[in-house]
Amino acid sequence: MSRNLEINVKHLTRVEGHGNIVVNLKDGVLEKARLEIVEAPRYFEALLKGRSFHEAAIITSRICGICSLGHQITSLKATEQALGLTVSPQTVLLRKLLIHGATIQSNVLHAYFLAAPDLLGEGSVFPLVAKSPEVVLRALRMKRLANDIGDVVSGRAVHPITPVPGGFTRIPTAAELQELRRRLEQDMLPDVKATVETLAALRQAFPPFERETEFISLCNDHEYAMYDGDICSSDTGRAPDSEYLKLTNEYIVEHSTSKHARANRESFMVGALARWNNNHDRLAPLAREAAVALGLKPDCCNPYLNTIAQVVEVAHCTLGAMAIIDQLLGDGLVDEKPNQEPTCFGTGIGTTEVPRGILYHEYTYDRQGRIAKANCVIPTGQNLANIDADMRKLVPEIVHKSKEEITLDLEMLVRAYDPCISCSVHLLDVEFSE
Amino acid sequence: MKIFAVGNAFYGDDGVGAAVLDRIRSEGRFPGAELVDVQTDALALLDHLLPGDTAIVIDAARMGLTPGEVVSFRPDEVKLRIQEDHLTAHGFSLAETFALARKLGKMPRDILIIGVEPERIEIDKGLSAVVAAAVPRVISLIAAEVPADV
Repeated sequence: MSRNLEINVKHLTRVEGHGNIVVNLKDGVLEKARLEIVEAPRYFEALLKGRSFHEAAIITSRICGICSLGHQITSLKATEQALGLTVSPQTVLLRKLLIHGATIQSNVLHAYFLAAPDLLGEGSVFPLVAKSPEVVLRALRMKRLANDIGDVVSGRAVHPITPVPGGFTRIPTAAELQELRRRLEQDMLPDVKATVETLAALRQAFPPFERETEFISLCNDHEYAMYDGDICSSDTGRAPDSEYLKLTNEYIVEHSTSKHARANRESFMVGALARWNNNHDRLAPLAREAAVALGLKPDCCNPYLNTIAQVVEVAHCTLGAMAIIDQLLGDGLVDEKPNQEPTCFGTGIGTTEVPRGILYHEYTYDRQGRIAKANCVIPTGQNLANIDADMRKLVPEIVHKSKEEITLDLEMLVRAYDPCISCSVHLLDVEFSE
Repeated sequence: MKIFAVGNAFYGDDGVGAAVLDRIRSEGRFPGAELVDVQTDALALLDHLLPGDTAIVIDAARMGLTPGEVVSFRPDEVKLRIQEDHLTAHGFSLAETFALARKLGKMPRDILIIGVEPERIEIDKGLSAVVAAAVPRVISLIAAEVPADV
């Protein structure tokens, strides 16, 4: 079809931050299809440089209002490795519980408030409130319980207080954890099942697009990796996190204030779908049942189904959070103090699966325990080249559709990645040298 | 009665709400009021709003006024007054949050919004002098709204 088409979506809605979709088709030939990131970068060298190890996690966690927990945990891990600080098994369990809570919170918010309107042919969540208020109230209920996990374990849901290098400044009480456990079982589990039913009814609304893709996520032998593990590429297998630069290869493009990344191909994908593809056999049974009900299969190359993978993860994280609480209570809570006595001053890498994908922080500390060098690689930045590659394949496949339909398919595609554009540009160029 | 702060205290004047709550706590004012800092999660307001309640929401917002200027208004005027606030929970603004609350039947009996015009919304900066000086004026506005027994 020798068609001319120009699409310019300025400030795409229902994503965090500012991005534009630009497509240009001339005489049926695609000249341009890309996501332009236009937000002004905020440089962090001045912020992190010279800061003490007590401050790094606080600063990085407050960069973003929606990704704070992920930055905080990843920052703590980088600092602890650099300073030789070991943490207790209880600390690891509490951090995993926080990650489960943050993943539920973020995935629920994305699926219900940002992605669902597209599936229902609506411009926002507001018409959904009129049609099905119980569905919106369910989403808010789930989000609140996930927030409450953050409140109980970290002192505050948005910008956590109690997680510090070496542990926690406050350990939740058994009664607090028991109450969370009760609500997870009595309130969250039925809501998860209802969520799967709601989404299954909308399954046909997901575009059938596919593109063979390299998927990168954490991976380990004993669980669905979120807190730690090797870096796993669906193309080349596992590598230690010390090789993260070889698997991100950030580079600058003219149309984005956020860096792009590549590993073994021109682009790769991180996030819930990557985790699903690399680790689905380690999901909790309820999550695997949800995947079957939602038609999510292994080796899935449809990026739109990232939203479905997120809901599958909500099921997994609900059961995972209950199991962690059971273990903490079974082992008996220890009112321990954080280990904050450095045994060395060097370089450390923190690697964590946060809702939008694999997040890396690397810090080098000087002998005074102050940051001399830092590098952070953000999931959304890692996905940007993949979004562009998807667009270049997608547009010719749907060129017979109306401009409005093509625009909607492209907007849905970008939203499916659940990008946090603010984060991706906030952390641009944090690498610096003395 | 609930008093809410919204905004990121790490971003300069966006922390004015949190600063007001701190001042209320340190001075022991309004002991019967529940103080809630929802930070950047506007949707978290929905967890706390109740139909029979009264609420005050303190927010740094660009309103086209002089930095440090304090204005109070009702939810119906939010879109009129606020050109830009800095809530970041996936772009849910205060106006959208109130619209959702209304549709879900969670809108309190009465809400007063106190907007403070910021001078700077910059990372890792404290309150500007003009906005810090506005904190007592915000508290005076709250005092005018709070029943004597609260």
